[in-house]
Amino acid sequence: MYTLGIDIGSTTSKCVILEDGKMIRAMSLVTAGTGTNGPAQAYEQVLQSAGLTQADLDYVVATGYGRKTYEAADAQMSELTCHAKGVYFQNPKCRTIIDIGGQDAKVIRLNENGGIADFVMNDKCAAGTGRFLDVMAGLLQMPVSDLQKYALAAKEPVRISSTCTVFAESEVISQLSQNVDMANLVAGICNSVASRTAALAKRAGIRETVCMSGGVAQNHGVLSALSRELDVPVVEVEYAQYMGALGAAIAAYEKVI
Amino acid sequence: MNTAELFEQFHKIALNPRAQKDAYLKDGEKVVLVTYYVPEQLIHAMGAIPFHTYGGDLPVNEAKQYFPAFICSVMQTMLELGMRGTFEGCSAIVIPSLCDSLKCIGQNWKYAVPSIPFIPLTYPQNRKPDYGAAFTRAGYERMVRELEAATGLQLDETRLKESIRIYNEHNALMREFSALCAEYPQVTATQRSDVYKSAGFMKKEEHAQLLRELIACMKQEVAQKSSGKRIYISGILADAPEWNRILEDYGLQVVGDDILACSRLYRDDCRMPEDGEDAMDALVRLYCDKDHCSLLYDEKKSRVEFIVQEAKQRKADGVILALTKFCDPEEFDNPMIKDACAEAGLPCVVIEMDRQMQNYEQARTIMETFADMIG
Ligand code: SF4
Repeated sequence: MYTLGIDIGSTTSKCVILEDGKMIRAMSLVTAGTGTNGPAQAYEQVLQSAGLTQADLDYVVATGYGRKTYEAADAQMSELTCHAKGVYFQNPKCRTIIDIGGQDAKVIRLNENGGIADFVMNDKCAAGTGRFLDVMAGLLQMPVSDLQKYALAAKEPVRISSTCTVFAESEVISQLSQNVDMANLVAGICNSVASRTAALAKRAGIRETVCMSGGVAQNHGVLSALSRELDVPVVEVEYAQYMGALGAAIAAYEKVI
Repeated sequence: MNTAELFEQFHKIALNPRAQKDAYLKDGEKVVLVTYYVPEQLIHAMGAIPFHTYGGDLPVNEAKQYFPAFICSVMQTMLELGMRGTFEGCSAIVIPSLCDSLKCIGQNWKYAVPSIPFIPLTYPQNRKPDYGAAFTRAGYERMVRELEAATGLQLDETRLKESIRIYNEHNALMREFSALCAEYPQVTATQRSDVYKSAGFMKKEEHAQLLRELIACMKQEVAQKSSGKRIYISGILADAPEWNRILEDYGLQVVGDDILACSRLYRDDCRMPEDGEDAMDALVRLYCDKDHCSLLYDEKKSRVEFIVQEAKQRKADGVILALTKFCDPEEFDNPMIKDACAEAGLPCVVIEMDRQMQNYEQARTIMETFADMIG
């Protein structure tokens, strides 16, 4: 039996096909989110790489901000519920999920069975999200994937005190004009995201094992800063960006069995 | 009228308070704007109509010149409505000094809405001791004097007892309605909210009459099967149409509330004054004896346990803390309530509300997740 989960975010679309609710058969990611043809492309790509057609799919669940407008799905589900399912599938020891996506951040506390015990979302602000890192990478004229390399090489990270993206941007510009070391500056930016997310995480309450998902989990500069802030190890889940889509595919499987 | 028609009647009034106010004015009535914890019985006994205002769901443009952005939207939109002329014709507005936001509306109101006199009502921090009661009484007397000047009406001492009786009777009906909503899952969040909202825009005796009919009709009906997602809500306000729709979309049944503009206002009755007893003193005691509210000083924070107990008694599956953005009295209490719910095994979620909210997507996601969590 094949089920498909599609996570339509603000900046990316991701798909996962699950075989018999147990094995990941294929995944796809397109860097175009809700309101674009990204979801359709991701869907096509995942079918292609799985060697399947639409007729082979038993159930499709959509999640993410674009879930309501995606008509090809049999059902929709909130991204928090899907993230919880996805991360628990990957790491059943997980009790706290920290997910930093393109436009939002969320912290989910899980119980022993993988059910949601508590959760918090950030407010409608770019600070502490992937968007903050995108803006900063743009300012520093480097791809966002390079941030981690610099952050991990820092000796004395600078302090970015502003919590607002717009103010932080001018703070970074003034640091640049003082010729501060690039590694220290990037580490300061990562720390700033981490400290904002840590404050959110403390509101939900931290229980180990703490897992990080979402695109920003691949940035180990943020991941290790978060671990320092929370004073607990934070582990990256495998396929961190696909947890919403994976959870949706699991939810789809649960609907048909 | 049948149940549906009665709910429709409440809906119309809740949706258009301005038409209701204008109709009263056309009938030659005097309308006095009030917000939470104003002793409405005194205004009623003067022969005027106390009319609730907690702002409205609208963008703030005019009022921005008086306030910073980080002040609660209830108060900002109240001033905005005043500046847009929505309250024209009202005789006065009475605002109690119960939070920092309400304390600072007065000086601005006087300049921004000069056509409607602003009457402050100063409450003591320590309301329980005798000196607190004396201070409260002095505040009531001053309010009456200023209202007499603004409306040209006089407080009728003999009518005051009758007003107290009318308000007590209405309180009891509101409580009965709330309890019935817990038994009848077919009552939607919008319908429940309409009954509370309209209560502030009608003469209490008129609202009571309509409510009596509704309760009688509801009791004839068979309770439908519950969605199994019974929720208890706490906060200052939670009446935006889109918010109610979200609750309905995810099958969340409101079985009780600690919303200030809803149940908190109708919890306590005034002791009926004995013959020869001063009725204003009874009203003073009504305020001074109140408990379980974020706006009323209480070092023991008895409200926290009250919410947990009431949610349990109504067999709620979860608690929603609808937090009005920038409302410090509520912000202080919320972490304690959340912890107490966790200890009692009640799932609890905090959701930030704003009168100027245009986009409810995040609220929708949070509620969808909460419904999954408790379902
Ligand atoms: S919402 Fe809170 S801060 Fe605003 S007026 Fe009401 S009690 Fe005061």
